[in-house]
Amino acid sequence: MKALFRDILSLDDVWGIMLFSFEGETLVEEFLPGPVDEPQHSDFWPQIIGAIGRIREADLVFENSRVYLRRTELGYLFVLMGAFAQTALVRLNCDILAPSLKEIKGSKGLKRLFKKKG
Amino acid sequence: MIKKVLIVDDNEDMLFTLKEGLEKYHKAFSVVTATDGLAAMGELKKRTVSLVVSDLKMPQVDGLTLLAHIMEHYPDIPVIIITAYGNANSAKLAREGGAVGFIGKPFMIEDLARKIMEALKRESEGGTLRNVSSSGMFLQLIEMEQKTCTIRLVEKSSGKQGVLFFLEGTLLDARVDGLRGEKAAYEIFSWDEVTLSIQNACAHKHRKIKKELQAILMDAMRVKDEISHAETCVLSVEEISGTPDGGGGETGSVVDDIGNAIEKELGGKPGIDDIYKDKSWDFLVQETARIGTILKIGSLKVGYVDVGENQDYILVPRKETAVLSVDPKCPRDRIIQILTG
Repeated sequence: MKALFRDILSLDDVWGIMLFSFEGETLVEEFLPGPVDEPQHSDFWPQIIGAIGRIREADLVFENSRVYLRRTELGYLFVLMGAFAQTALVRLNCDILAPSLKEIKGSKGLKRLFKKKG
Repeated sequence: MIKKVLIVDDNEDMLFTLKEGLEKYHKAFSVVTATDGLAAMGELKKRTVSLVVSDLKMPQVDGLTLLAHIMEHYPDIPVIIITAYGNANSAKLAREGGAVGFIGKPFMIEDLARKIMEALKRESEGGTLRNVSSSGMFLQLIEMEQKTCTIRLVEKSSGKQGVLFFLEGTLLDARVDGLRGEKAAYEIFSWDEVTLSIQNACAHKHRKIKKELQAILMDAMRVKDEISHAETCVLSVEEISGTPDGGGGETGSVVDDIGNAIEKELGGKPGIDDIYKDKSWDFLVQETARIGTILKIGSLKVGYVDVGENQDYILVPRKETAVLSVDPKCPRDRIIQILTG
């Protein structure tokens, strides 16, 4: 499953990805060694995912990083990146990835593919 | 257009001799080498090759296995088989496997060169165009005229090589370096000036690219424009008044300040329909700002959101959220850069 996100993670200045189900459960989490640590478990994710339920796509610019957020067939994909990442390329790679996530959703044994986290 | 010929042989002396001997044809093709079938597969994955010449008997992955691999994954690449065991059976196996030619050892290098040139000629049987745009009219003509062809392109500035496969006007697949399918097509369509050759045949039959050609061309142009903007834009933006927590005497002028900063940088408000304050966005902004806390990446400065309406929104956290309603085709990355200073 993580192999699907390899292309996004290989883009310049991309730090990590997280995929949450629509209920806020972490489906995939992959962080590259670098400026940000893998986040500790948080009870707030379900609330946040609930609040962003209207969003199809978002670019969020924070003080020290940026987050590209994308609604997919499986849930919300967060791409964490630095100031020098090309968001256009991140968006493009998410466009390309989206059909694969749709296929996974349609395939049997979906739950086996995901590592369940907190 | 210098074509690359991959020669595969486990005998390094033989490889050296062939490379040296074929050097005099360097204006027609260049030679890259691999010492076994496995290494050849790696070469094929990372570079665009026009033809493969392979020994038949090799350890690990032999010539016939390599031939089968090429026929499955790169059916457009012709293969010539060389073997010391040049009996009729080997030749038959190689031809049945899809090889376009067969040459038995010992052979004259000139004979091999002739076979290579004959096979390479087919690559440009439909003509060659120089210094054209990779996303220009000719591709649209191929689609309109429902042509079946293989187009090989070389980018003028970098020398990168790529291939596009069309079946009855439909773009089936693309290949460049290690990329295949849509990604390769995006890469090729982002090239400025290319030389291309047309072969009036398409060995690929399966459609790996699902998107329409026009959509890919448009996306490739959009990405190219955005990258170009980002690279050339030197921002000298004044601080927009107000603070995220609403302190600092925030007034209705936040809206004016945002408008002025954008106008100053972009010479207008391209794609911006309106700028206003709207409390109904406060909850969403507050929750997305929480992401910054959890991930320890600081406070939220600006958010661009697409909620599936005809227009998108740029949100600037303030006591009351400042909202820019924008056309989805607005220069979003530039506006975000301006708003974040």
